[in-house]
Amino acid sequence: MTPGSVRPIAFSLGVASAATVVTLALGLGLARAMTRRRVRLAGLWETLILLPMVFPPTITGYLLLLLLGRRGPVGSALARVGLQVVFTPTAAVVAAVTVSLPLMYQSCKAALASVDRRLIDAARTLGLDEGRVFRRVTIPLAAPGILGGVALSFARALGEFGATLMIAGNIPGRTQTIPLALYSAVEGNRSAEANAYLAVTVGVSFSVIALVGLADRAAESVRGKGSGTEGRRR
Amino acid sequence: MIEADFEKALPLFTLRARFVVDSVTAILWGESGSGKTTVLDCIAGLASPDRGRIALDGATVFSSDEGVDLPPRERRVGYVFQDYALFPHLSAEENVALALPPGDRGLAREYLSRFGIDSLRKRRPPVMSGGERQRLALARALATRPRALLLDEPFSALDRATKETTYREFLALRDELAMSVVLVTHSRREAETLGHGVIELRDGETGPMLVSDTAPTGA
Repeated sequence: MTPGSVRPIAFSLGVASAATVVTLALGLGLARAMTRRRVRLAGLWETLILLPMVFPPTITGYLLLLLLGRRGPVGSALARVGLQVVFTPTAAVVAAVTVSLPLMYQSCKAALASVDRRLIDAARTLGLDEGRVFRRVTIPLAAPGILGGVALSFARALGEFGATLMIAGNIPGRTQTIPLALYSAVEGNRSAEANAYLAVTVGVSFSVIALVGLADRAAESVRGKGSGTEGRRR
Repeated sequence: MIEADFEKALPLFTLRARFVVDSVTAILWGESGSGKTTVLDCIAGLASPDRGRIALDGATVFSSDEGVDLPPRERRVGYVFQDYALFPHLSAEENVALALPPGDRGLAREYLSRFGIDSLRKRRPPVMSGGERQRLALARALATRPRALLLDEPFSALDRATKETTYREFLALRDELAMSVVLVTHSRREAETLGHGVIELRDGETGPMLVSDTAPTGA
């Protein structure tokens, strides 16, 4: 690892982690709201959530810039209370959240839908209120799918380039993430630094996939598929 | 006491249920697809009738006239689902304790012992036998001290040998509980032997029927 590569790596991991936490809360909340009861204009809301998945990231970034820029509807309101988002680390998080939310939302929605309705019904007849049914029954049973969404979202957040460039810029030491720093390193012919980014990204990606695999296996033993002896297999 | 007098439109026919079960075990008998489970779901609050009234121990839990439709958690109905719907991610003890208020968690073991499965309290449902699961489902349903007990084909998941012992156990439990119980089955044999009276569901309707400790009669 070269001295110049440390900042972008630490910053990128921080941005991707923060973005994943926000995306999980948003994605799970939205998925629950949309699966629980009929929502008016559900198709429209869902399209809006999913749009960044099909948009070119630079277009998503440009839209965010229009929204959050000094003259944008959100940006001007924030400016009045002395807050600026564009070209700050926060902007990098906003970009990462926007592009990874579709993946999280879809994973969570599929995971929630996969939970056996009768188990939820059983919890209700046992006197649990809706909040406890969700925490004690729905979430644990949907956990593998939700975790898959977390892994995908983290990976997507870590790799975000276009939208980040548009609203956070490529300010070394301030808003420069791994993909942006890699681009600069290759342009500036600093191959040692570029290779450090490659190594870190490969390492992180492998660990994420391994983690999901482990969690999946643990979850399967909880559900007792294939059965066997008590507790988890192997 | 369970008082049911309601209608619900289903995709293929309209379900009409009119019966009263007073502190005994009534069998709700009908072919598969006749709407038996929907009747139980309406009593438990998992489905809403289109019109009518349902009362438990005299308290209205559903009434289209009065606009009452209590959620399942406020009805205090014990429900043993077909295939039992046990929580696969929780141990036997946790399955029961989940239904109990925090101060009463100790009661879970009491109920497990009562059904002879205290030694299995750390096991999770997927590694239990059919008979063990049925006992756990009963323990879980009764631990909430329900006003009525609903059983949906509770013996259909058991093999023949287990069935015979479970029938005997159920008869003993039934007499000990002295609770209003509705047991759904499509088996003629279970209908004839396990209840104090049979409510037949035919063409989407039950006749007006009273099942009480006096002989069952058409009301």
